[in-house]
Amino acid sequence: MTTLRAFTFNFDICYNNYGIPFYLQYLAHWPEYFIVAEAPGGELMGYIMGKAEGSVAREEWHGHVTALSVAPEFRRLGLAAKLMEMLEEISERKGGFFVDLFVRVSNQVAVNMYKQLGYSVYRTVIEYYSASNGEPDEDAYDMRKALSRDTERKSIIPIPHPVRPEDIE
Amino acid sequence: MLRHILVTSNMAARGHVQDPNDRRLRPIYDYLDNGNNKMAIQQADKLLKKHKDLHCAKADPSRQVLKAIGLQRTGKQDEAFSLAQEVATLEPTDDNSLQALTILYREMHRPELVTKLYEAAVKKVPLSEEYHSHLFMAYARVGEYKKMQQAGMALYKTVPKNPYYFWSVMSLVMQAISAQDEKLAQTMFLPLAERMVEKMVKEEKIEAEAEVQLYFMILERLGKYVEALDMVRGPLGEKLTSELQSRENKCMMMYQRLQLWPECNALSYKLLLKNPDEWQFYLSYFDSLFHLMDKSWSPPNEEEHCVEGPVHTTVAEAVKFVVDRMEEEDKKDSRPLRGPYMACLELIHRLRQRGCPDEEELGDPLELMLQFFGKFGDKPCCITDLKIYLHLLPPEQHTQFENRLGELVPLGEVGEDGFGFPGDTKALQRHLCVCQLSRVLGLQHTLDTEGKLCLITELKAHYHYGLQFGKSCLKTELQFSDTYCLMVAHVYIDLWTETGDENMLWQCLGVLEEGLSYSPSNAQFKLLLLLLFCRLGAFQPVVDLYSSLDAKHVQHDTIGYLLTRYAGSLGQFAAASQSYNFSLRFFHSNQKDTSEYIIQAYKYGAFEKIPEFIAFRTRLNQSLHFAQVRTERMLLDLYTEADITSSLEESVKAMGLCPEEDDIPWDNMRDNRDLTVLFSWDPKDRELTEEHRRLSLEEESVWLKVRSLTLRLLASLALLGHAPSKRNSDKTNENGVSAKSSTLQTLLSQLDLTLQTAAQITEKQTQYPFLGPPSSRLASALSSGSCHCQASALQLSLTLQELETTGLDDSSELQTQICNSFKSLIVQLQELLSRCKGDVLEMKDSRLMTQPSLLETLVFFVETVCVVLWVASYSASVLRPLKSSLQKKKKKKTKDSSTAMPVVLSGFQEWTGSLQGIVTQALDHVKGQEASLTALKLAALTLGVGHAQTQEECGFTRAAMDKVQTSYLGSLQELGDLLRKRADSLKSLKF
Repeated sequence: MTTLRAFTFNFDICYNNYGIPFYLQYLAHWPEYFIVAEAPGGELMGYIMGKAEGSVAREEWHGHVTALSVAPEFRRLGLAAKLMEMLEEISERKGGFFVDLFVRVSNQVAVNMYKQLGYSVYRTVIEYYSASNGEPDEDAYDMRKALSRDTERKSIIPIPHPVRPEDIE
Repeated sequence: MLRHILVTSNMAARGHVQDPNDRRLRPIYDYLDNGNNKMAIQQADKLLKKHKDLHCAKADPSRQVLKAIGLQRTGKQDEAFSLAQEVATLEPTDDNSLQALTILYREMHRPELVTKLYEAAVKKVPLSEEYHSHLFMAYARVGEYKKMQQAGMALYKTVPKNPYYFWSVMSLVMQAISAQDEKLAQTMFLPLAERMVEKMVKEEKIEAEAEVQLYFMILERLGKYVEALDMVRGPLGEKLTSELQSRENKCMMMYQRLQLWPECNALSYKLLLKNPDEWQFYLSYFDSLFHLMDKSWSPPNEEEHCVEGPVHTTVAEAVKFVVDRMEEEDKKDSRPLRGPYMACLELIHRLRQRGCPDEEELGDPLELMLQFFGKFGDKPCCITDLKIYLHLLPPEQHTQFENRLGELVPLGEVGEDGFGFPGDTKALQRHLCVCQLSRVLGLQHTLDTEGKLCLITELKAHYHYGLQFGKSCLKTELQFSDTYCLMVAHVYIDLWTETGDENMLWQCLGVLEEGLSYSPSNAQFKLLLLLLFCRLGAFQPVVDLYSSLDAKHVQHDTIGYLLTRYAGSLGQFAAASQSYNFSLRFFHSNQKDTSEYIIQAYKYGAFEKIPEFIAFRTRLNQSLHFAQVRTERMLLDLYTEADITSSLEESVKAMGLCPEEDDIPWDNMRDNRDLTVLFSWDPKDRELTEEHRRLSLEEESVWLKVRSLTLRLLASLALLGHAPSKRNSDKTNENGVSAKSSTLQTLLSQLDLTLQTAAQITEKQTQYPFLGPPSSRLASALSSGSCHCQASALQLSLTLQELETTGLDDSSELQTQICNSFKSLIVQLQELLSRCKGDVLEMKDSRLMTQPSLLETLVFFVETVCVVLWVASYSASVLRPLKSSLQKKKKKKTKDSSTAMPVVLSGFQEWTGSLQGIVTQALDHVKGQEASLTALKLAALTLGVGHAQTQEECGFTRAAMDKVQTSYLGSLQELGDLLRKRADSLKSLKF
């Protein structure tokens, strides 16, 4: 059980990985895409943050998951699925064609979770994640799920060849 | 980055037209972007030379500004500024110059100059949408709300686009929010904003969701909840679509404000049917239910209870509702939701609060909690959930509860060590949950020493056994059994605090070090180690631990206190300086960051975020920790550098310190410390309370006041020393001096008052929970005597100043007074030093004992020596001219040799001699401690006797001991170095 609410900008963001400007940027532009989950004791359980972008004319208008994070002690409760469902709903309302996200190729747990939620690998992005902490550059999967506006599910037909980060929108 | 900003905005402004200037500017941009500022300057110069015949700024203003940016970035601020001003006075209207100047001013932290720039541009090109909007943003950056309101309207009149109109409206709301006088907000700003929106509504010009949001904000702030509710429910409300359940949430909020309990209840009910896991709606459902019962509310007619649908008004209905939700979950094939089961416990809790007997219908809390554990016991959050409702169990049921829980944990057969272990991670999690609950219930605390030691053995066995499940874990992942290890540490801490047996502490450090070796990302291990090392007075290991925590942004404010509380106080000056810098860098960058995003929020119409951003910025600016690091940073610089690398006066000036100025927001101080960052499973009566928080803030504030007054007094002292020689020549100067001494006087009496308050606070001897806030330095500062010694030294400088005006003749009383002060200061310093004597670390009967308080006192001694020596140096500057004029007089009347040396001069000579003696004594003590520490052979300690520590565990314990020993040595060395430098400065005082 969870309290899901719009994110009010405060000290909640303490324990996350991005700098303050990153959050401010999203809140200033897409506040509705920032949702936090709180436990009855007031603990921060997790949050999702995203945006809407892409050209409508080219049928590329879509919702994007920028960050999804669930605190370790609140995992395996279905919270991530719930938050994803909410982000998809918001994107539906905005008339998006699909929702997409990037995930490390090595993060098998996450890839499987997204597959269970109806996402499929659309393409591989080469060296999307830059090297850090002595780990080398890493590829990302660009995963997508079609929304109801894309009746023929054209947006998720996989691209067979990997692309470079500079070639993606 | 730089070019990106410039180019995109140029393109937006002018479309595809290629300005030949732009092409030639490109290389300069490139150099600036790549950080090659010198080449940028050269390139700009090269191009500027082509226009030698003309005035540079006129011929090519933008290039001039780019050169200025280069200069600014190479540290030539003054040159950069005058170059920029040359261009600015021309009031440029070309994009390149304006944008480049904007960037330059921002880098110079002079955003107010940008407003001037665009004010001029708008005057010259009154129809430019772009310049008007830049002007608005420039005002936004400096928070000039009234001017923003006007600029927004001017913009709207130039180009009638809705967003501009609403920028102006929002600026009115901001005036209301920032108004000191709430009445002004309620009677002027907000009503005006409301009328402005109403006008648009009447003319049917409302277009965007953001505009409706803003309207709602205004009505809410005006307390016009009925109007707000009507608006949300009406056609305008239909625009509220982006946020999920936006209309429902707003209605709910208004129902609560208006105490429309039937609507509140019916809406909560509806939303819960849709999503039985939404906790906030259970709360509003119960709240409204009991309000309705208290009012004996009944529906006006049978068919429809209220606009939101059916309303529940009896406990029976609520019980049925909750029970139904649980049954729904029980029936489900998919994973059950926790909400309904928690709601059941919440309802029991509320019924019990009201003394309502119906709770039995929901069942026995003990059984319900067992049921909850059965369903969710293998989730790590089970403990956080159940913890909230443990008070529903009477104490006599606690043991029974623990035993019954134990029955629900599948453990393997009991081995020869007497323990059975879980077969998989789910079983492990269940077992762990029982251990945690047992601690929360206080069952571990009631064990005697022997019992606690047995518990440690058991938890350790489980910890080691559980490690096998996490063999494939990545470095960044936690081990499944980490929590056992942390619990072992907590029991060790219990034993240490109860028995005072330091062995418990060493073993605790060992077990945590071991845990960290298997689970290098565990932040809780690091935090607890960090805390323990600090308590032990060993700061060196803390530096690495903190940096491996990889604390980010806000954490520098919320947990930075763990570091900064101890850094300076343990004599690790270099590390202290570094840790203050971490925090300060964060606070300073925050300032700039937020204003940029406030502007973005205007652009995208995220109006409701603007007050949040501003509140956030304010909260950081008013942070207790920010004020502390600011102050401590400057004090530290003075202690370590003033009169060593440069004079006190130069140091004070370089810091821009002004004794009259107090920039600490005493009345609005925000305590942003996260005081529960360390996990704790202590029972309620041992937890951190609000009272603890209040007392800790009070104590820290008073200590901060002492420190900040000391700093300002030192600044005052430095400026006193500035004036003497011209004493007779210049009347105004003399006034200047007396103004300075009156500041000194005022600050001294403030310090005196603060020390009195401080004494009252320390009398309370507040004890905080071990994992709560550390005590401030206040108590030890007072008991060491350092505060009073410093205060008397500073007081002496005032008397000396008096002597300076009076002269040596006719001042025998004053001179005696000064000499007495000299003597008294020596006595005080001597006492302070005697409190530092003793061994910080020693081995007794094969046990290692620490006395970290000696180290802290030694730091106070060194700080006090610094202060006294600055006063001594001021004394010398006063006495020297007096002495030389006396000698001149003597020469004149050579025959008359009967004039004895004035007492103050001989007294001073004696004083500096004694000071020298004390510093030498202190140095001897430090040297002695260093020698005995180095001689201490920890390897000779026999560990593990009686406490069944394995060879491996002993290794970790030994490593922790080594760290403490090395750290002590480091502190002593730094203190010794500083004392030696101070001793050198003393030599120059003799005359």
